[in-house]
Amino acid sequence: MAASAITLEGLVKTFDLGFLGSLPGFRRLSGRLQLKGIAHRVEAVRGIDLQVERGEIYGFLGPNGAGKTTTIKMLMGLIHPTAGGGTLLGHPLGHREARARLGFLPEHPYFYEHLQPVEFLDFYGRLFRLTARERKQRADALINRVGLDHARGRPLRKFSKGMIQRIGIAQALINDPDLVVLDEPMSGLDPMGRKDVRDIIFELKEQGKTVFFSSHILQDVEMICDRVAIVVRGRVRNQGALHTLLETPTHRVDITVAGLDAAAVTALADKADSHRTVAEQVRFTVPEEDAVNGFVQAAIAAGGRLVAVTPERKSLEELFVAEAAAVERRRAEQRAAERDAAEQAAADGEETP
Amino acid sequence: MIGQILAIARNTLREAVRNKLFATLGFFALGMLGLTLAVSSASLHEEVRLMKDVGLFLISTFSVLIAVFTGVNLVYKELERKTIYTVMPKPIWRWQFLVGKYLGLAATMAVQVAVMIAVLGGLIPLVGGEIGVELWQAGWLVYAEVCIVLAVALVFSSFSTPFLSGLLTVGVFVVGRFADVLSTLRLGKPEDRTELTEGISATVRAVAQVVPDLSIYDVTPQLVYGTPLTAGYVLEASALAGTYVVLCLGLAAVLFHRRDFT
Repeated sequence: MAASAITLEGLVKTFDLGFLGSLPGFRRLSGRLQLKGIAHRVEAVRGIDLQVERGEIYGFLGPNGAGKTTTIKMLMGLIHPTAGGGTLLGHPLGHREARARLGFLPEHPYFYEHLQPVEFLDFYGRLFRLTARERKQRADALINRVGLDHARGRPLRKFSKGMIQRIGIAQALINDPDLVVLDEPMSGLDPMGRKDVRDIIFELKEQGKTVFFSSHILQDVEMICDRVAIVVRGRVRNQGALHTLLETPTHRVDITVAGLDAAAVTALADKADSHRTVAEQVRFTVPEEDAVNGFVQAAIAAGGRLVAVTPERKSLEELFVAEAAAVERRRAEQRAAERDAAEQAAADGEETP
Repeated sequence: MIGQILAIARNTLREAVRNKLFATLGFFALGMLGLTLAVSSASLHEEVRLMKDVGLFLISTFSVLIAVFTGVNLVYKELERKTIYTVMPKPIWRWQFLVGKYLGLAATMAVQVAVMIAVLGGLIPLVGGEIGVELWQAGWLVYAEVCIVLAVALVFSSFSTPFLSGLLTVGVFVVGRFADVLSTLRLGKPEDRTELTEGISATVRAVAQVVPDLSIYDVTPQLVYGTPLTAGYVLEASALAGTYVVLCLGLAAVLFHRRDFT
């Protein structure tokens, strides 16, 4: 059986800031001599564990500063992990064999502005050691696929942000990769551009490729991901299949009905948990799936027209916010406990003669 | 492996050729050479000597300054513009990237130096002088020196900021240019020497031993008096430059290998 597309185990990255902190061996020395304040350390990633299977679309989510981009840079071999490790397509992180079968689009990409699209893709094709014929064929096909045919003769410095994103996706696909890693691919795109990127991601999945991407735009993630991981403060707080993560324990159902008079609304509202009127339609929330059939029959009998029956699910946004809030709550509790312990220790010290 | 290095070198050369800053610097250098014509024409019976002397000095100075400026920015610009983020995840070694960038810039500098030497070669007959093989030898040695300076700049820029790298590279260039004098330096008269002056002298001598001796690449007297260099001299100077470049690239590659591209 083929190895997982991505496996990460206990991945940690700590940055030593400042000139002294960047010197080899200084961290160990400053720790030994307890030189606090000279070298400042930041724990960007505190232990990421995850597994991405081949052929799936995997969303990597988290608030700003959660450690998403740092994790992706470790995956790409751009920065070295402080601890932990993992594999890409069965090879250790940073291995050239894995990189040969990998496509990558960084967040807010910047490219060689003096190049035109064909030259640009030809350059990346050469880095993959593609033949001249392969480079030409793939460059032409990809420029067409990302909708940049009209800009073939234009240097990249004259491209808009959306066009840069599109050519960036093209360079990520020039080697026909098995695994595509996209860091915020929807960033800066208009709705049409976002739809195009979604379509490309779906196409890649249909071709059997694995797509791993980070995004802030939860609506897009919800539409296309098979599984997601939510990262907060450098750790994966929740991961799994979207339908599992978004399931609610209550199994409530929303039923939207149009054409009801006030008396009928009042009568039906007694059978529902809550109701809300929007644009001459009333949305009732019934407590159990078992009650749906009876409620619908009653609504139709009261002269209503059924518009929609929607099982209530948590939105990804609710899940995302809840995870971030839970982490903040735990941190606040931990800080309070540490403060109490310090105060207690100080009080004990004063009492000791 | 070579193909990937050449792809990076070619891209670097193409970027430099299309960069307006590079063209501006080149035109400025050519303008200064033109000024040399005016200055030498105004001198009495010394036109040819002045043209060769000042011309070679300007070519060497401008080439080294351009090399320092572009060399220290070689890696920094890739990091600052984040272009390195899409190059390094490709199946290449980090040293291939450094060598490719270096070769691209060295090729750019070859064009710059060649054009300036050709212009000087065109100006010398205008003041009644003759050009011989010593002009091309001088041009080649200017280029060899530029290659060393580029490599030194690359070493510093692989772990430091462009400003600091620039200062350090210029420092190496200045010490290297006076290496023959500095390597035997003893400060003060014998009767005035103290532990301090002896210590400073010893330090300067040690530094002069470590940095490349760039004084061998200044062949202005040979150009001015029309005495060609021996093939052995040119070969030895070229081999020394090649050795320094390989050592510097090796050191830069080691420093670059562990670097995080944040």
